[in-house]
Amino acid sequence: MEVGFLGLGIMGKAMSLNLIKSGFKVTVWNRTLSKCEELAKLGASVGETPAAVVEKCKYTIAMLSDPSAALSVIFDKGGVLEQICPGKGYIDMSTVDASTTSKINEVVSAKGGRFLEAPVSGSKKPAEDGQLIILAAGDKELYEEIIPAFDVMGKKSFYLGQVGNGANMKLVVNMIMGSMMNAFSEGLVLADGSGLNQNTLLDVLALGGMANPMFAQKGPAMIQRSYPTAFPLKHQQKDMRLAIALGDQANVSMPIAAAANEAFKKAKGMGLGDHDFSAVHEVVKIPENASGK
Amino acid sequence: MQLKTLSFSLSSPSSSSFILHSPPLSFPSISCKFRPSSFSSSRPLCVSLITISANSNDATGQQEVPTRIGFLGLGIMGSPMAQNLIKAGCNVTIWNRTKSKCDPLINLGAKYESSPMEVASSCDVTFAMLADPESAVDVACGTQGVIHGIGPGKGYVDISTVDGATSKLIGGNIKSTGALFLEAPVSGSKKPAEDGQLIFLTAGDRSLYDKVVSFLDIMGKSRFYLGDVGNGAAMKLVVNMIMGSMMATFSEGLILSEKLGLDPNVLIEVVSQGAISAPMFSTKGPSMVQALYPTAFPLKHQQKDMRLALGMAESVAQPTPIAAAANELYKVAKSRGLSDEDFSAVIEALRTKL
Repeated sequence: MEVGFLGLGIMGKAMSLNLIKSGFKVTVWNRTLSKCEELAKLGASVGETPAAVVEKCKYTIAMLSDPSAALSVIFDKGGVLEQICPGKGYIDMSTVDASTTSKINEVVSAKGGRFLEAPVSGSKKPAEDGQLIILAAGDKELYEEIIPAFDVMGKKSFYLGQVGNGANMKLVVNMIMGSMMNAFSEGLVLADGSGLNQNTLLDVLALGGMANPMFAQKGPAMIQRSYPTAFPLKHQQKDMRLAIALGDQANVSMPIAAAANEAFKKAKGMGLGDHDFSAVHEVVKIPENASGK
Repeated sequence: MQLKTLSFSLSSPSSSSFILHSPPLSFPSISCKFRPSSFSSSRPLCVSLITISANSNDATGQQEVPTRIGFLGLGIMGSPMAQNLIKAGCNVTIWNRTKSKCDPLINLGAKYESSPMEVASSCDVTFAMLADPESAVDVACGTQGVIHGIGPGKGYVDISTVDGATSKLIGGNIKSTGALFLEAPVSGSKKPAEDGQLIFLTAGDRSLYDKVVSFLDIMGKSRFYLGDVGNGAAMKLVVNMIMGSMMATFSEGLILSEKLGLDPNVLIEVVSQGAISAPMFSTKGPSMVQALYPTAFPLKHQQKDMRLALGMAESVAQPTPIAAAANELYKVAKSRGLSDEDFSAVIEALRTKL
């Protein structure tokens, strides 16, 4: 099966690699073209522009960092829209807000193309291991046709109905994740400040109803104040902000998310945006002296 | 130095059994061979375990194994815990403020005394499982309290969840009688109590801990010894603070998904597939979606624990904005009459009421 792949960042590179390894014919594009070289060596073709990729491929998957990148790939000169036509399918796996994905759906459909949003839950390692959770919504037939690719990139796919539902589900999940990371950080710091062994706290948490992979995997590094980037903090904060905006629209009270967002903003302000989102732990830590470090 | 021991999970072959490191205290290895297949929870027989369990710290090699066990407080947790001890063949004497709660256990063979004082004086080790700091202090130090019956050669194990200061107060009073004291709050609610799957977070007299491990292993799946009195209470409160915040954010997610026209059951399934998948979410999520909150852990106790955790944080000058926000939601839920529902009823606090 032949697919195009736009966006070779932390996620896109791992996902397109899995497609290539599974025997898909993949044509890649990235804003920084040099990132395509590694995949070209493994058998990928390279498109000079998003339009060139769409022209070549019946199905094009995109994995971009945020709403503005997702829109620019569509609308810019050399963008996807120049080559979308009946018969072509566009699958946007970026995490964006519902209005961005609706806009993309509108313009792709207006040119006769079919559109599926399919944001993912899971970060770098699940992407590398083909263990993502795919939250698709939009053109049902396109969903059925692209399932072979989803099955390579992910462990489970959901079809959620109309465009916007995928984006919204992703944001709700990431909102919970961001708040949980804050709750976890507060617990780690309180344990330390009360003279308890933080590794013992991890052991206790792992035994009960609260046990989850995120605590188990990130806890040890956080205790060492190490935050290797699997999911950049700046993207987590973006997702909290988008989730809170959803809450505003739907008149839903979200005091925990609001408090968590404040912590992520503070962390961004401290220059931690490119660290893993677990770096929010630094914000919760008790300052080592009165003037802070 | 803080020591830690973990016992095997004895309930099913598929459950994870692990030891983190070999403890100086010898674990009764014979218990691994106790796997009567007809037991649904495979609890080792109390009598056999006591006679076999060796305390290698005892220089004389003599056993001071407690045989007469007291149990004070037969609520949601205390009743199944005491029942597990009785079913394992232990000699148990009970007391509860509301006497009628004692009847099912008396039918199972428990003895009854009419005050904590009398239980403590007739037993070698007395366990207590009370709802809050006030009850814990009253049972230990009140006019008919444990301190009036306990003394040298005896031990008191307080399993109630209280703040560190309360635990130290109780411990100090107990020890001034010459008895030993162990705080031992648990992680785990109703079902783990029934199944003997609790996690004990103990601190205090190490020699009392060593004497009671076989009883802890009947009631629980894991046990930690965390050092000085206060450390067990602190660990419990930190754990429950995280848990309370997790339930609050999960509630926000369920309500938001519902209001956006998504199926909250699908949200639960998506969460269960990923990095934030927790048993608590899969177990409680489906009933929360139906606005049902069968009580495993009363909301009023969760709010008490949040409040105590916030107090702990304040005492070390640590800001905890997420826990503070979550505590507010539990307070709102209490004000709506949901105190005795499961703590998952906190989701109702997010629904606007006219």
